[in-house]
Amino acid sequence: MKPPVFDYIAATSTDMAVAALAAAGGEAKIIAGGQSLMPMLSFRLLRPSLLVDINRIPGLAYIEEADTCLRIGALTRHFQIETSPVIARHLPVLSAAMTHVAHLAIRNRGTIGGSLSHGDPAAELPMIAVLLDATLHIESVSGQRAVRAQDFFLDALTVDLDSAEVLAEIILPKLPPNTGWGFEEIARRHGDFAIAAVAATLTVSDGSIRQARIALTGVGPTPVRAAAAETLLIGHALENKLVESVARAVRAAIAPEDDLHASADYRRHLAGVLTDRALHAAWRRAQGEP
Amino acid sequence: MAPAKPHQSAAVAIPVPDKISVSLNVNGVDVQLDLAPWTTLLDALRDRLNLTGTKKGCDHGQCGACTVLVDGRRIVSCLTLAVMKDGSKVTTIEGLAKDGMLHPLQQAFIDHDAFQCGYCTPGQICSAAGLLAEGRAKTADEIRELMSGNICRCGAYPNIVAAIQQVMGHS
Amino acid sequence: MNAYIGTSTSRIDGRAKVTGAAKYAGEFNIDGLVYGAVVESTIAKGRIKHIDASEALRVRGVLDVLTHQNRPRMADASAAYKDDVAPEEGSPFRPLYDDKIMFSFQPIALVLAEEWETARFAASLVRVEYETAAFTTDLQAQRNSAFVVEKPESHRGNADKAFAAAAVRHEAEYFIPIEHHNAMEPFAATAIWDGGGKLTIYNKTQGVQNVQRYLCSVFNMKPDDLRVRSPFTGGAFGSGLRPQYETVLAVLGAVKLRRPVRLALTRRQVYTVGYRPATIEHVAIGAKPDGTLDAIVHEAIAVTSQHEDFSRNDTAWSGQLYKSPTARYEHRLARVDLPTPCDMRAPGAATGVYALECAMDELAVALKLDPVDLRLRCYSDRDQHTNRPYTSKQLRECYRQGAQAFGWSKRRAAPRSMRDGTELVGWGMASGVWEALQMETAARITLTANGHAEVASAVSDIGTGTYTIMAQVAADLLGLPLDNVTIKLGDSTLPLGQVEGGSWTAASVSHAIAKTAGEIRKELLRLAQAVPDSPLANATVDGVALVDGRIVHKRAPDRAVSIADAMRQGKVDRIEREGTVQFEDDDSHARNTHSAIFAEVKIDEELGVIRVTRVVNAVAAGRILNTKTASSQIMGGVVWGIGMALHEETLLDHRFGRFMNPNIAEYHMPVNADVYDIKVIFVDEPDTRINPMGIKGVGEIGIVGTAAAIANAIYHATGKRVRDLPITLDKLR
Repeated sequence: MKPPVFDYIAATSTDMAVAALAAAGGEAKIIAGGQSLMPMLSFRLLRPSLLVDINRIPGLAYIEEADTCLRIGALTRHFQIETSPVIARHLPVLSAAMTHVAHLAIRNRGTIGGSLSHGDPAAELPMIAVLLDATLHIESVSGQRAVRAQDFFLDALTVDLDSAEVLAEIILPKLPPNTGWGFEEIARRHGDFAIAAVAATLTVSDGSIRQARIALTGVGPTPVRAAAAETLLIGHALENKLVESVARAVRAAIAPEDDLHASADYRRHLAGVLTDRALHAAWRRAQGEP
Repeated sequence: MAPAKPHQSAAVAIPVPDKISVSLNVNGVDVQLDLAPWTTLLDALRDRLNLTGTKKGCDHGQCGACTVLVDGRRIVSCLTLAVMKDGSKVTTIEGLAKDGMLHPLQQAFIDHDAFQCGYCTPGQICSAAGLLAEGRAKTADEIRELMSGNICRCGAYPNIVAAIQQVMGHS
Repeated sequence: MNAYIGTSTSRIDGRAKVTGAAKYAGEFNIDGLVYGAVVESTIAKGRIKHIDASEALRVRGVLDVLTHQNRPRMADASAAYKDDVAPEEGSPFRPLYDDKIMFSFQPIALVLAEEWETARFAASLVRVEYETAAFTTDLQAQRNSAFVVEKPESHRGNADKAFAAAAVRHEAEYFIPIEHHNAMEPFAATAIWDGGGKLTIYNKTQGVQNVQRYLCSVFNMKPDDLRVRSPFTGGAFGSGLRPQYETVLAVLGAVKLRRPVRLALTRRQVYTVGYRPATIEHVAIGAKPDGTLDAIVHEAIAVTSQHEDFSRNDTAWSGQLYKSPTARYEHRLARVDLPTPCDMRAPGAATGVYALECAMDELAVALKLDPVDLRLRCYSDRDQHTNRPYTSKQLRECYRQGAQAFGWSKRRAAPRSMRDGTELVGWGMASGVWEALQMETAARITLTANGHAEVASAVSDIGTGTYTIMAQVAADLLGLPLDNVTIKLGDSTLPLGQVEGGSWTAASVSHAIAKTAGEIRKELLRLAQAVPDSPLANATVDGVALVDGRIVHKRAPDRAVSIADAMRQGKVDRIEREGTVQFEDDDSHARNTHSAIFAEVKIDEELGVIRVTRVVNAVAAGRILNTKTASSQIMGGVVWGIGMALHEETLLDHRFGRFMNPNIAEYHMPVNADVYDIKVIFVDEPDTRINPMGIKGVGEIGIVGTAAAIANAIYHATGKRVRDLPITLDKLR
């Protein structure tokens, strides 16, 4: 099915883009890579009267390293993040997650800003943003604001982004030293959306966990941080008994639903198993193992 | 009976947005098209430029049959509006052979019987060309993984992997 | 003489396919082309009260909107819509015929516009009011009202009694959901006026002459005025056997506007043209402790539409394949409010043999016998149905060679006894069986003095390799290089060709070519004998062969006349012959292909993730014309078997009577990373009884049994028996 009728402008600056959004009074959509928006248009899930193309805005695609964080421009393509040496060095869990985002032809077009703004409940990038405590910089004609990833995802395909706003930059704090990571995903078939995925980081010193982060996707309308489960890990070494109780806490923290691809029970089960595996991988990596 | 003319209605016609002029370089040839904004790159190639080698299998970015190379990278042309690619360099399956000489991937696909009905084949070959340019896949498993966006319902996958490996071995 | 037959020859249409030059039905762009877009019913059953197309007609560039109320005339009689492959019982669906809604997504209007985008947009503006009626789409809810359609061809003894008395019994119910072909090319038709009131329709189909006859019947057109062409078909797998609605709608548009019209269906619309019916299979097998069988009972219940009785042989394979003194089998249909199901790769066998071969595996477990051993203990050299011998049956050799290539002897019998690291490993096997059919087919050969031949028949190449095997057979029988043979097919004006189905095309068209090549040879010999002092003066037509551009005496190869000389002598620059081959009904023998499939799975038990890491499919299918393309056919069948076992399922929302996942993202087919090592073995199976060239066909046998081998391997890995397909991750939990 074809996209419905709409008008189109190619913005050449962020100011121009947000001005066009504001002028359209809620009837416009930003198009970046288009890899989520185009199917939405084709399936008639959206009927905007105007598409504002931000691909021609210079300086919106970048990966910059600062002292304590990485700044990623919203227009940065998935493949750029996937293959970035800077990301691989500081946020290897993000590099790993990127290989699970659809297929390469999609990753060549799709953008980080687009994926986060789309807020698919089974997508990897929102989970990573939540895992890494990302801060999202948003612009509109009324100015700029920043929102924590944790607060950004409101519901399935619903994010804290007004129709006149555009996500401009994603700030990801670097992982502390001695931090290991794990990423585990299960899909029905290669490259499909996750049935469930878990990402975790563990910061370890003197043999015990100082900081723990566990995030999940595919197990509810939005990505989830399993805060209660994280707390259980602090001050301990990773042991099977501990992991079991953490996995239990993760299962308790989520509210998955049945859908075409898997039952809620199976998703809940997966969340535990994947947490177990992600934590073990993170623990190993925190010890310096590959 | 005379051929039909566009329908004349007493009511006011429903306006559609103006067409937009788009310049593309397709297979080395500069072309200029006036397109409705919602025209996908895929439809522009197939219906306006008669480059029907690029196939439409799903129109939703799910099958990979419409894969082409834009500025050297593989993309699915059904999820790309043609207007967004103004000024881009597009290579389709028709642009891979040079002076009647098949691209090594094209020859390898024939040699390994890496297709049956042939409908996914242009997308597979363009995707494989993108894969080679990316230079990341080394093993059969990596090829399988990075070619999984291109569905072949005839099930020629093992032969597709073999064809790509043959070309990698020679390059 | 066999320079090409039996070799690994690359496809002669390969270059066209890898360069994008091959044109499919929706790719014939001509000036003035009108684009069609279909408006679909949003209800599953009822009638259209009112259609309002006024808003759609106001869109700039829209030419017309056709509905049942304003369409051009079509035949009224239901019989006019019966194509060659239509079920005997029932009335075919008639698109835009009347106000009746029979299934969700049914086409109810056709928007015609100058551009495709415009047509699509306008289609969204057509307003429809319905009167809804009660409907059902749930097989399980309808199973008790299913009716018997296919009487068992033979009851052997009292199978139910024998089963009840058997020492070892296995009885279970298996389930195969609705599956869709999902050929990569969506259905499309381009109807073009050739002048003088003649229409040419480029159509995605498996049978141009079937579509041509159908359209002539529906539109009351003369055969000479309507031509159907399908030079390339982007996969079909059975979905293109019957004429589909896009071709009717394209013609309606062309007739109404007197302009060329293209209608390419969307992927979602393709889901309404046919599907493999959901089927419940009940199998009961009784055996003696030594593994010989006492009884086989196989009952199936499949869905069909309200308007046609589509049924295939699911159950009789069970009565045929294994030695058993008693057997009973029965096929039932349950009506639902969906489109009529249709053939899909190995219809009946893909499903019925899945159930039989899983049941045999379960019986082997009960008997504590190796699954191959059990099958050898009840091996039959005769069709158990009819007690006839086979024209050839090398299934025993399939078991042997397949097992050897797979390494079956290293299998540990106990479930859960094999591991690779953290993964459970399972090895399973199954038998496959399909029919070896052949149909009346004609070919025309035109040989020119420059040593070039054109071979023409109205058959199809749906990816099966028909172009190539036709060229191979013709090249060998005419003694020409392959490059000197041109093939024409997929055109209704060519000599008789049947729909490409049932794996019968290779055998049928090869013999049509052989017969016609014989006529050419006869004429060449006549001309050669007219050469002064002809070295072939006393030769008979069967005593000569065409080799390397010469007519050669078979016993004395030095006695020869060049084809060019013979034709020059006869003052002809071309010889054209058309021959039709018919195959006698030989009731004295059964004709089948067989296979043995061995599969390895590796399973992450915690997650339920299943990988089919190895498959060996050993096939006995008579003479293999082209080992390269035939291997691809089997490999493709195996990939289908993987999909059937693990992925494929069209889900219905019974509240709306509607398919829930009519797209390629949510209908899961195997992708490259889901497919690992597949080895195809062709077991030598000489067979001069079935037909002179010993050809049986390979398009379907590759899928038969594959899903069972995988399901059996999953049981072996996990100890868990999942009988309803697909075996998704959560079912192993």
